[in-house]
Amino acid sequence: MDIFELRLALQDGSVAVLEVSGYINNEAGEAIATQARRLLDSGTRTLLFDLHATRIINSIGISLLLEVLEGVLAVDGTLAFCSLSPGIAKTFQIMGLAQYAKVFTDRETALAELSARS
Amino acid sequence: MAEPERLHFVLSRLPNAELVVVSGVEQLGAALGFARDTLDEVKLAVLEACLNALEHGGSEVEVELVAHQGREPWMEVSVVDRGPGFDPGTVASPRLNDKLHAQRKRGWGLELMRRLMDRVEILSVPGRTQVRMVRGRRGV
Repeated sequence: MDIFELRLALQDGSVAVLEVSGYINNEAGEAIATQARRLLDSGTRTLLFDLHATRIINSIGISLLLEVLEGVLAVDGTLAFCSLSPGIAKTFQIMGLAQYAKVFTDRETALAELSARS
Repeated sequence: MAEPERLHFVLSRLPNAELVVVSGVEQLGAALGFARDTLDEVKLAVLEACLNALEHGGSEVEVELVAHQGREPWMEVSVVDRGPGFDPGTVASPRLNDKLHAQRKRGWGLELMRRLMDRVEILSVPGRTQVRMVRGRRGV
């Protein structure tokens, strides 16, 4: 459960879906930030992180997600998350992340809304 | 009443050393009948306490997990380091808007611990910092 994996599950126009599994620590956060930068550099403007297989994240991982958010905001893009465990949802709520990022219950709902906007 | 069950760990600065403690939280939490979601919150708080201690507290960190059975089961976590210490009263709550525009985006650990656990106490003097946290089965 804790082994980190990152997979580009979908890239459709300006929308990309990244599936993350396992523990989001410093190394995982760096990998996520690097992949996000690549996608933004190549024209992706909406990043959706599907966290259904992630239940723990540490504050270093969180800070790297904030770097991703900063990058997305710099290109007037959209950052979104879906399928959050209650613990991670609470962590994001404590941080106030919903001010800047969209949170969806599942990928289907997220893609329906995000694709309609892009 | 049954004696509390205890797990004791000594962590060194190895990558992901904090995950050993997370496994302990799972084990004791299951014995106490904690819901999975409650346990996840305890794990997140414990991760932060361990990471702070490992980062600021010198080479070795001692962690004790105690499972208290009874009508209202609860878990107690103690994380002790031997670092220079700090004044928790001077640590401001992080604000996302400030962090977004700052070079350093870290500094969420203490806030998360306080919000995810029922009670957090920090006793810190030069050479010894103890973070003691408590969480009941019912959740925050």
